[in-house]
Amino acid sequence: MPRLRVRLRVNGVEHELEVGGGERLIDTLRNRLNIKSVKEGCSTGDCGTCTVLMDGEPINSCITLTAQANGREITTLEGIGRPGDPHPLQITFAELAATQCGYCIPGIIMAAKSLLDRNPNPSGEEVRWMLAEHLCRCTGYGRIVEAVLEAARILRSR
Amino acid sequence: MRELPDFEIYSPSSLRDLLEYLHGDGRDATIIANGTDLLPRIRRGELRPRRLVDISGVRELRYIREEGGVIKIGALTTISDLAGSHLLSHSRYEAFHVLSRMFGTWEIRNRATVGGNLGAAASSEDLIPIFLALDARVRLLSLGGERVLRVDELVVAKRRTSRRGDEVIAEVSFKSLGEGEWSYFQKIGRRRTHIIALVSLASYLRLSPDGVIEDVRLAFNRVRGKIPERAWRTEEFLRDRRIDEEVISGAERVLESELRLTSDYRASYLYRTEVAKVFLRRALRHSRDMVLGGVESVAEA
Repeated sequence: MPRLRVRLRVNGVEHELEVGGGERLIDTLRNRLNIKSVKEGCSTGDCGTCTVLMDGEPINSCITLTAQANGREITTLEGIGRPGDPHPLQITFAELAATQCGYCIPGIIMAAKSLLDRNPNPSGEEVRWMLAEHLCRCTGYGRIVEAVLEAARILRSR
Repeated sequence: MRELPDFEIYSPSSLRDLLEYLHGDGRDATIIANGTDLLPRIRRGELRPRRLVDISGVRELRYIREEGGVIKIGALTTISDLAGSHLLSHSRYEAFHVLSRMFGTWEIRNRATVGGNLGAAASSEDLIPIFLALDARVRLLSLGGERVLRVDELVVAKRRTSRRGDEVIAEVSFKSLGEGEWSYFQKIGRRRTHIIALVSLASYLRLSPDGVIEDVRLAFNRVRGKIPERAWRTEEFLRDRRIDEEVISGAERVLESELRLTSDYRASYLYRTEVAKVFLRRALRHSRDMVLGGVESVAEA
């Protein structure tokens, strides 16, 4: 199969890659760019685990071809904060113990980031609607809602 | 482990480039828009395309405009685009507004497209009944010209359309809604969001100021078999009548005799029929109350 040249900007860094037509964005991110926060859940776009931002919009990286991300800006958890300088969502998820096994959390934080970017003051109801589309099998969601609302408060006070 | 099988993919950068490709080498290629339906199907092994043509970069196909009283929607318009469009922001376009919660997930709504929804032609596609209820036209383009089809001429069977290999679904259009008109969409599944519809009803009504139905179109996701279709006899019964409880009951009886729903592992035909009647009742009451104002009773079954 012919290879395709693809340019991606991931967390602010430009990459030029040769990919096969069937290569998925999640595989490019994890296996070639070593971005391991991106996790695979259902592989069919149902669980929200693999969510990354493409040009600021949450999308499922498990059902997006890398070829179709050509020229786009991709943001993952690694791109929104660092150990010495975490994003408010990363702070509140840790402080409020909003994670248990943690597998679904990167996807949830990316969707939450996109929600807060467009709505700095969401209601609990709006956060729940966002979360309704992300499966977490251990936390029960309550603390995740609190962590998102608390991060929103921190962001508004800055 | 969960990679997709490899395939050739061609990504045209313009509509012209796309049409030339479809006319030549790409005639047997599978069109992919943003892949929210196609890629899971490839992964499940339902399809094994050798060659894809990726139209996601053909930006000329992503627009919503209004021209001469007609709303025109480019095939690459996403569900999020529809729900957020100022041209469709009037409450009478409620059918599109409810999609922002009921259609897929946020991630899917950001990717799933109008053309993809029509082209996929599954019984679960919400836009097919909605466009049927709006009496929409679908514009197919090829190098040789264009064809304009009704939705029921395009979607001929479950997972089958009348699109030719050299054509692309380019645009959907329907008359702008005005005074007295209302579009609505209801669907039911096992939860409140991210639902594959067990039953859905897209409805369009035009009422006179005193509440007489001047025009009505009712499209269920299934009526006979597995593709969306209009409930013609129920529409016929309703036309020129004023919506009151007696007419609603009469319409339910006509609908029950007209529906040929089937059972499957998701739901029985009895359940689907019951829900279809409730949806009809709610559509009539809700549209009347919204058009005429002065809501007497909130539509509850």
